[in-house]
Amino acid sequence: MEITSFKQKLSSCEGVTEVSVIRDNVVKLNLGNKESKDFFIKLREDYGFEHCSLITAIDNQPEFELVYHFSAINGSVFVKNSPSAVMVEVHVFLERDTPTIESISDLWGGANWHEREAFDMMGIYFIGHPDLRRVLLPEGFAGHPLRKDYVYEIHEEEW
Amino acid sequence: MAEMWISMGPQHPMTHGLWTLKVKVDGETIVDADPELGYLHRSVEKMGERRKYFMNTTLTDRLCYASSTTWTHCYVNTVEELMKVEVPQRAKYIRTIMLELQRLASHLMWAGAYMPDLGHITGALYFWRDRELFLNLLEAPSGSRLLYNYIRIGGVKRDLPDGFEAKTERVMKLFEQRLDEYADLFENSKIFRMRTEDVGKFTASQAQNLGITGPNLRGCGTKFDLRKHDAYEIYDEVDWDIQTREAGPGYGDCFSRYMVRIDEMKESVRIIRDCFKKMPAGPTLASQIPVRAQGEAFRRTEDSRGEALMYVVGDGSDRPYRWKIKSPMFTTISACPHYLKGYKVADIPAIMGSIDICIGETDK
Repeated sequence: MEITSFKQKLSSCEGVTEVSVIRDNVVKLNLGNKESKDFFIKLREDYGFEHCSLITAIDNQPEFELVYHFSAINGSVFVKNSPSAVMVEVHVFLERDTPTIESISDLWGGANWHEREAFDMMGIYFIGHPDLRRVLLPEGFAGHPLRKDYVYEIHEEEW
Repeated sequence: MAEMWISMGPQHPMTHGLWTLKVKVDGETIVDADPELGYLHRSVEKMGERRKYFMNTTLTDRLCYASSTTWTHCYVNTVEELMKVEVPQRAKYIRTIMLELQRLASHLMWAGAYMPDLGHITGALYFWRDRELFLNLLEAPSGSRLLYNYIRIGGVKRDLPDGFEAKTERVMKLFEQRLDEYADLFENSKIFRMRTEDVGKFTASQAQNLGITGPNLRGCGTKFDLRKHDAYEIYDEVDWDIQTREAGPGYGDCFSRYMVRIDEMKESVRIIRDCFKKMPAGPTLASQIPVRAQGEAFRRTEDSRGEALMYVVGDGSDRPYRWKIKSPMFTTISACPHYLKGYKVADIPAIMGSIDICIGETDK
């Protein structure tokens, strides 16, 4: 499927808003939290995005933002006359009081630890994750240090 | 026989860095595994939020001690995308040469570390002897041997020194001869093949789903290399081919991962030669480099170990608001229960060594 027709198909999906092509091989879109799982299943099964590159959690104060990057390794979606592999950048916004979203680690095995890291650093809860523990920080660590309201115990020096 | 958990690490000859691999064994057979990370966590992402954009290149150098240029380049590439900086053509060529020299040094470091894992100490000495030659080449323009800080936002620190091309050509010629010698020593050696063939196998579809990228993915037949599939710098202008192993009885195992890396080194030599041939004259640093950035950008590059992706969000100030690093080894290690299960305890060094682990980038 060519990337422009892929973009049009995405626009008609439930919960998807503001679809745009930000580079010649990257499609960016916003997605509602409730519709996220159905959309991700579609992305994997129907459009052939086999690889979950990255899950980023951002503290936008007040709300959280999750950014998913997926790529089509086998070229089920492609750019005309170019070998570039197509990527999808999905933005999901979460409320500060309930930062929860459905886990996608059953769809992409590679998403497992990215979700654990987002939980570790930013305190996002992934519903249905098989093993949501801290991954980089030690067990028993209090708080989520990449949140903007995280308070350091040490004196902060201005560089 | 009763099953039990064995903890390998954080101090263990198999680990190549500080991490723990807990394996559940039934006699000699691995039933389950649970990798644990975080011993080397330095909170690079958080530190980066408090430093100015140009300061972070020193941090990215320290992400991976074996492959520091590729990580700095990934960061610089992302920030250039964010700030919309146009890099001079000559700087792109110099960057490509430096990246490929770094890939050679990194692959040689891996090969040298892999051989003692298999009990082949001579291999370590031979490969690390060759790595020194490439470190000398990396030292010539940058001034240091491990952490270069050579690639800067908008270009490179300085132009290549006089006689660099001749020096590089001499090293590459010697290196190619030695690779032919090593073919007899390793890939034609029965003992080496017995340790690596049909060990640690995974299929292409498994690897893609588990997020395994780079030489490990190409070792199981997938023709995917970001230097071609998301071309950056001038990789689309020079002649080179993606190195994979064809589907067959022994592909996707430790031996095919070894072969892919050896072939990639030959390909790197080809890229460097072509770069020297096509390199234009001109400036090596952009004249206008902004300090502040607004918006978001991501770039992915082919690191020596797989797909490196950085995502930077700027809020209009001179420091990144959020900086996320994707390390290829982070996901590859997370998948290790899948490719360890069913093999023997004695295979663990051979399997985990063939993955090319770097804990510096994994723990961030």
